[in-house]
Amino acid sequence: MQQTFDVIIVGGGHAGTEAALAAARSGAKTLLLTQNIETIGQMSCNPAIGGIGKSHLVREIDAMGGVMARAADLAGIQFRILNRRKGPAVRATRAQTDRALYRQAIRSIVENQTNLAIFQQEVDDLIVEQERVQGVVTRMGQRVRARAVVLTVGTFLGGRIFVGGQTHQAGRAGDAASIRLADRLRELPLRVDRLKTGTPPRIDGKTIDYSKMETQPGDRPLPVFSFMGEVDQHPRQVNCHITYTNERTHQVIRDSLHESPMYSGAIQGVGPRYCPSIEDKVTRFADRDRHQIFIEPEGLNTHEVYPNGISTSLPYQVQLELVHSVAGLEQCHITRPGYAIEYDYFDPTGLHPSLQTKSLAGLFFAGQINGTTGYEEAAAQGLMAGINAAHWVKQKEAVILGREQAYTGVMIDDLVTRGTSEPYRMFTSRAEYRLVLREDNADLRLTPLARELGIVDEQRWQRFSWKRDTIADEQERLDATFIQPGQLSAERSTQLFGNVLEREYSLASLLRRPETRYRNFAELSELGPLVNDFEVIEQLEIQAKYAGYMQRQQADIEKTKRMQETVIPSEFDYASVKGLSNEVLQKLSAIRPHTVSQAARISGVTPAAVSLLVVHLKARGQMRKRA
Amino acid sequence: MANTDTICAQATPQGNASVSIVRLSGPQALSIAQQLTQVELIPRHAHFSTLLEGEGNTTIDQAVVIYFPQPHSFTGEDVVEFQCHGNPFVVKNLLQELCRYGARLAIAGEFSERAFLNGKLDLSQLEAIADLISSGSEQAARSAVLSMQGQFSEQVQSILQQLIQIRTHIEAGLDFVEEDIEVEVKTSVQAKLENTRQEIETLFAIAQKGVQMQRGVSAVLTGLPNVGKSSLLNALSTEERAIVTEIPGTTRDVVYVDMEICGIPMRLIDTAGLRTDAGIVEQEGIERARKAIENADLVIHVIDSSQSNITPAELTKTSRRLDVYNKADLLTDKSALPENAILVSAKTGAGISRLREQIASRLQLQASDSQTPFSARARHLDAMRRALASMQHAQQQLQIDAPMELAAEDLRIAQQCLGEITGEFTPDDLLDYVFREFCIGK
Repeated sequence: MQQTFDVIIVGGGHAGTEAALAAARSGAKTLLLTQNIETIGQMSCNPAIGGIGKSHLVREIDAMGGVMARAADLAGIQFRILNRRKGPAVRATRAQTDRALYRQAIRSIVENQTNLAIFQQEVDDLIVEQERVQGVVTRMGQRVRARAVVLTVGTFLGGRIFVGGQTHQAGRAGDAASIRLADRLRELPLRVDRLKTGTPPRIDGKTIDYSKMETQPGDRPLPVFSFMGEVDQHPRQVNCHITYTNERTHQVIRDSLHESPMYSGAIQGVGPRYCPSIEDKVTRFADRDRHQIFIEPEGLNTHEVYPNGISTSLPYQVQLELVHSVAGLEQCHITRPGYAIEYDYFDPTGLHPSLQTKSLAGLFFAGQINGTTGYEEAAAQGLMAGINAAHWVKQKEAVILGREQAYTGVMIDDLVTRGTSEPYRMFTSRAEYRLVLREDNADLRLTPLARELGIVDEQRWQRFSWKRDTIADEQERLDATFIQPGQLSAERSTQLFGNVLEREYSLASLLRRPETRYRNFAELSELGPLVNDFEVIEQLEIQAKYAGYMQRQQADIEKTKRMQETVIPSEFDYASVKGLSNEVLQKLSAIRPHTVSQAARISGVTPAAVSLLVVHLKARGQMRKRA
Repeated sequence: MANTDTICAQATPQGNASVSIVRLSGPQALSIAQQLTQVELIPRHAHFSTLLEGEGNTTIDQAVVIYFPQPHSFTGEDVVEFQCHGNPFVVKNLLQELCRYGARLAIAGEFSERAFLNGKLDLSQLEAIADLISSGSEQAARSAVLSMQGQFSEQVQSILQQLIQIRTHIEAGLDFVEEDIEVEVKTSVQAKLENTRQEIETLFAIAQKGVQMQRGVSAVLTGLPNVGKSSLLNALSTEERAIVTEIPGTTRDVVYVDMEICGIPMRLIDTAGLRTDAGIVEQEGIERARKAIENADLVIHVIDSSQSNITPAELTKTSRRLDVYNKADLLTDKSALPENAILVSAKTGAGISRLREQIASRLQLQASDSQTPFSARARHLDAMRRALASMQHAQQQLQIDAPMELAAEDLRIAQQCLGEITGEFTPDDLLDYVFREFCIGK
């Protein structure tokens, strides 16, 4: 193996694979180092991709040429659209995925990527010269050089698994933790803390009585994840099932709480509030008489299922008793016990918005190491870290997505600006420009940028350009096509447009009415020819019906743009700004915000302080616009 | 923010003056001015021109017009200045005409803001802005405290909590559909929303009243009995409002006159003579006087210059005090008076116009303060108005069964608006307010 690369990615999970592929697509000679090639693209937790907020990230990754959506299309065995009636901005695609198929899909894309080499070897150390990272040292003692290293080591850093009173070091059940690398990183001036997450026991589906459970079929017509995806790429579709815990389950848990490492104090890490263990649920919501359990198939070629909703670190015997109390699971066999895992993460306020660490040049972090949870969150960071590692090596400017541009931008900005004290998961309510950041327009928001960066292929660009142009052309036609008062009978007019038209209206203005669908124009042939591409029609309708809200959000975006474009020089001396309080001074000096608008989002930084900063930057002639 | 609009405003103070300057700034400034004057304007050249209205039949005024091409102008944009006669109607007509040609009225401070953004302000001016921000936010804090006292603050907080509660349910319904949680049903959300909206409406009405009462400044006349406070009130207001007698202690109640003093709306309050040996009847009047002094923006302390004891009374020792020496007509020896003493005669009217100017200049600061964006009440009213509008919009969305994310967005905005009252408001807003309010570099 050659010993010098542009970029090294450590870790082959969701962050690692997107990072490796993005760096390679960006033209960097890239090496992906993983402990185990067989686990590239492994879904360590539940076998599903997407869901509310998360699917937005998946579509954004896809729009920039990433793989998660494509792999989900190839591995998805049950697809659903959530929030269908609550509006396009919160609408979300979710795919139950076959773990093996998903791994295969990712592995095959990774193997076929030019500029990308894979090597199975654990990383023990970083090569640091002249205060810059210069490569890594592997377990075998190999020194592989690269000007940028992206760490995407998930829960493997100092990972420790808990099942009841038993505990051992591990990165994931069955895989070793990266202890030496964790020790090495703890020597860097980075703030380390512990987080925890958990999984439920896995169950043998042959031993489940599905007749006692609700059946949850997938949606028809079948949704597709990737912009380039097709329905016929999907494998055979199956159902999920729903069952519930009951009073007896809760009693079992209450009786054994003292054996839970979380309650005994053995685990110091903070777990996610939105994804609590069943112990937590029963304790914190004592008035609930049942909790939902989704029985999710692990794949088409296995009987194993994932009972989503009962993640636990209780002892195995208690886990058995617990599942046996549930309807349909009375006779079931546990194939793998559930466990809690505690791991190191680094305070993400130690990162630049490019995901490069502030303390060691050339070192990038992505995924759970930054305190996030979820495949999608990890993958989106991986994508950006991969792009930015390649840019760093080529001395190109970092690519930073704005909060008004992408959920990915919201997430990274939240992380590097505010940090996190629990595993960070994406929710749509985190995005102040939620109505603008939709699943359905991720391509329109990001593919042009990705094209500029050279990381999407020609095929996608062609298809994207067609869609974009068709929308624009049809919009223009709708603006310029009018319907006359007498053209429709009073009755038809009321049915189609809500009332009798008393003057001429443009089709565009009619489409803004809540009751008007695009297809209503088919009534009169002279209003055509209409387009029949679903995605184009969807955009036309949303653009029309949400026009008022969009304008308001756009006005808000414009308002903050000036601050966003005001870059604070990295060597800026905050102490030179007269009038800043000590608290504000400390916060600004610690986080070193990239722009004035980022400074404004740091908690405790007052509007007056931001104004002082702006005036000071201006006065010193240091205000410069980002290109 | 793209400054593509061409803006206009009067650059000199409002009111009657010999000359008023109207400034026009922006990309269209030159073309608008040429259309109005029908003159080919030469840069930095004073043109004497007749300004015609509308179809060209009526003359607005004859004015000196100067064109400053960018970047060498006050704002850094193309600027045209019209120096016209200082008549409010002329100014109004001129502004109207400029707007007809495509300009729009500037928001307060917009000229300064453009100057700032185009780098036209020098370091010392920028530092002045920085100081203003510092003091401005202090002042904001002070006025917020004033406005946030007691019930109002509690009520806003309680409404905010209700709103957050409603939002919590709506947002949970959007972000956690699969989690089997019990969010409020729509009808219950609607009922709560209506309830909350009504509460804001009520509070808004109360707050609005408060604002009207607060508008303008107040000055209070104090001094020993029979120094001529009531006569001075009459002289200043030129109305026989208070009864003037020669018996000490006649004014037992608080009498006030609303007047304008050099353009500043002011309430002038006369008090019962402050005496420590007052009879029981007067006690109440004195108590009221004390209150009036506490709340006044200016205390006009009247001293009888003809009496030997001209030391101001302890009671009225305040930095807001203006000492006025009355009864100049009875005074023969001025040597006992302090230097620069304001000497007037309420009886003859001597020195009254100088006193007016003194009062106005002392009040100027307070007058501008009370209208600053930092004047919490004005800001709070505006925030409540916007919150109400957003809540109504949310209600409409729920009514027509629009996607829930739209009502959610409206309520987010509503909360953001109320959040401005309780302390958070967006950083850029503050800077905007600063520029709107303080005409830096003018």
